Amino acid sequence: MGYEMTLLKLAIKSSLNRKASVLLTLCTIAISVMLLLSIERVRQDAKSSFSNTISGTDLIVGARTGDIQLLLSSVFRIGHTNNAVSWQSYLDIKDRKGVAWTIPISLGDSHKGHAVLGTDDAYFTHYRYGKKQHLAFQQGRAFHNGQEVVLGSDVASKLHYHIGQQIVISHGMGNTSFHHHDDNPMTIVGILAPTGTPVDKTLHIPLIAVDEMHQQSHKQPILIGNKPQKTNDHDHDHDHDHDHDHDHDHDHDQHDTHHDEHGHQQFTLDSQPGDLIGAPKQITAFLMGFDSPLYTLQVRRNINMYKAEPLLAIMPGITLRELWEMLDIVEKILLLFSIVVVLVSLLGMLTTLLATLSQRRRELAILRSVGARPIHIFALMSSEAILITFMGCLAGCMLFYGLLITANPLLQSQFGISLTIDWLSNYELMLLGAIMAAGTLMGLLPAARAYFYSLADGMSIKI
Amino acid sequence: MLTITDLTHTWPGQSQPTLNIKALHIDKGERVFLYGPSGCGKSTLLGLLAGINMLQSGQVKILNTDLATLSHANRDRFRADHIGTIFQSFNLLPYLNPLENVTLGCEFSKQRHKRLADKNTDVKTEATRLLNALGINESVLSQDVSKLSIGQQQRVAAARAFIGEPELIIADEPTSSLDADNRQAFIETLFSQAKGYQASILFVSHDQSLASLFDRQISLSDINGV
Repeated sequence: MGYEMTLLKLAIKSSLNRKASVLLTLCTIAISVMLLLSIERVRQDAKSSFSNTISGTDLIVGARTGDIQLLLSSVFRIGHTNNAVSWQSYLDIKDRKGVAWTIPISLGDSHKGHAVLGTDDAYFTHYRYGKKQHLAFQQGRAFHNGQEVVLGSDVASKLHYHIGQQIVISHGMGNTSFHHHDDNPMTIVGILAPTGTPVDKTLHIPLIAVDEMHQQSHKQPILIGNKPQKTNDHDHDHDHDHDHDHDHDHDHDQHDTHHDEHGHQQFTLDSQPGDLIGAPKQITAFLMGFDSPLYTLQVRRNINMYKAEPLLAIMPGITLRELWEMLDIVEKILLLFSIVVVLVSLLGMLTTLLATLSQRRRELAILRSVGARPIHIFALMSSEAILITFMGCLAGCMLFYGLLITANPLLQSQFGISLTIDWLSNYELMLLGAIMAAGTLMGLLPAARAYFYSLADGMSIKI
Repeated sequence: MLTITDLTHTWPGQSQPTLNIKALHIDKGERVFLYGPSGCGKSTLLGLLAGINMLQSGQVKILNTDLATLSHANRDRFRADHIGTIFQSFNLLPYLNPLENVTLGCEFSKQRHKRLADKNTDVKTEATRLLNALGINESVLSQDVSKLSIGQQQRVAAARAFIGEPELIIADEPTSSLDADNRQAFIETLFSQAKGYQASILFVSHDQSLASLFDRQISLSDINGV
C-alpha cells in the first residue's frame, strides 16, 4: 500500500489537533485498562496466595462439621469450632498404619487480636505451605517448654515484639477477653519468617501452655510468672534461668534487678527442654501426613466412620479448591464488570470518532485531491482508533503499576495478599491484546464510513 | 494535454445525464477559463478529470493517457502525479502548518518527488521557495493555518497544487472568497507559476469578470449538450 509513515504522521497530527476529545477518550480507556489489569492481578494473586496457604498436608481431622468450616477454622483461623477432638482419639489415629506425622492444633485463644495456636514441635518440622516449603525461623528457634512462644512474622512486626520479651496470652478470642491471664507470661523464643499465610498472624504455644492457661482461669490463680508486669520495660532481660524457675520460684524481682545492672539484650536462647504436651483432654483439630496416598484414602474413610466420636477428615487441597470455586462466581462477576467498563470506554472512542467524522469530510476531500486513495483514508481513520487504543493501554499500564506500588503495602497489611510487582504476565498481555483488537475493530466502523464518504464526495467538498 | 471526446455522465437514480460533452481540448501551457453557474455539472466534470468519478462513456485523455484504461489505484496515482487542485475555500488541513500543507502535495506522489530531485532540490526547500514566490511571509510558515487570512490560505493551497510541477492545475472557484483586488493578484501569481514550467490551468468560476485574463473562455453550458 505504501505511504504508511505519511498516514501515521497525519493520524498523529490530526489526533493532536483534537486534543481535548482524544485526551478524554484516552483517559477513559486508560482508566478502564487499569481497572481490568488491577482486578485481574488481585484475582490471580489472591488465588495463588489462597491456594498456597497449606500444602503437603494429606488430611485435616476435626470434629464433625462441614468440610469448608473445618478448613476455615483450622487453616485460616476463621470461625469457631465448638466441637473438639478428644486426645484419646488423636492418639489412636496417630498410631494408624502409614501415618508419617501428625500435628495437633488447639485454637480458641488470642493475643491482642491475633490467633493463638497450641501445638507441639511437629508443627515446626512438618507444617508446609506454598510450594511445599517448611516454616523457617527469621530469628530464634522453636519452643522447648511450656513457657515459650513462637510468633508469626506479622505478629512480631505489628506488635513490635522481639526475642526474649515476655507476653501474656489471654483466654478466648478477640481483644476484649473477659479475663487476661496476667499470671501466665510467656517468653518469645522464636519469630518465623514471613509466609504470606495465616501463620504470619499466629502465636504458637505448646499444648501444655494452653492447658495450663485454661486450668488457671477456672481454679485459683497459680503464680508462675513474675506478676505484676512491673518489668515491662526490661522484658528482654529475662534469661533462661528464670524461665525455668517459673514453676517453683517466685523471687524474680531479685533476678530482674540483678540483670538490669548488666544492661539489655542479654537474653540467650538456651533453655531446658520440658514437656510440650501435658495432658490435654481435647484439641481442635490435627493435621496428618502419610507415607503413601493409599493410606490417606483408607485412613480418611476410617476417620469419617470413627465410632468413639463423630470426626471429619478432609483433604485440604480438594477443600481449598471447593472453597475457591465458591468464590469463583464473585471473581467472574468482577472480571465481567471490568470487561464491560473497557467496552464502554471503547464505545466512547467510537462515538467520538463517528461524531467528528462528518466535520472531517473536507479533510478527506483534500487528502483525496492530493492523491490519497480511499484505502489510505480507511487506513488513516483506523490508525487513529488504533493509536488512541494503544496510547490508552499504555497509559493504563502506567496507572496500573502506579496503583500496584501504592496499594501493595495496604493490601499486604490489610488482607495478607501480596501483589507481585512484575512485568505483565502472558495472560495480561493477552488481555491487552484483546483490548487492542477490540479497539481496532471499533475503529473499522468510522474508517469504513470515511471510505465511503471519500468515494461518494469525490473532489467536491460537502459540508 | 487534455482531450475529452463524447463524454456523457449520468448519476445513478437520474434519468437525464448530467454531462454530455462532444469535445473539449486544452493545450499544454494553455490557461482556460471554464464558466459554469452552479448546478451545471461542474463538480461532476472536475471529478471525472481528476479520476475520482468513474467514467461511464466517452473518453478523457490527459497527457495521452486514457483515464478509462487505468485502475482505481492508478487513477489516484495519476492524479497525485499530474494534477494539482485548488478548492474554493478551506483548502488546508487544520492540523498541519502552512509548510506541511504544501509538502502534502508531494506525499502521495513519487513522481513529484522525482521531479524535484531532478531540479536538485528537496520538498521542503521547494515548498518554502513556492510560498515565498506566492507572497507568503517566512514568519508564518510554521504558524497555525487558522491564523492565516483567507487570501494567504488560498496562496498556500496554490503552492500545494504547484509543488512538484504537475502538468494540469484545476482550480475550482479559488477566488470566490477573495475580494476583487486580491482576485486578480491571485490569478496573476497562478499564471506566473504556471508559466515557469508550461503548466495548463483549468480555472472554473461563475464570476465572468475574471474571464478576460485567460487565454480562452469556455462556457460549460455551451459545450454541455444536456
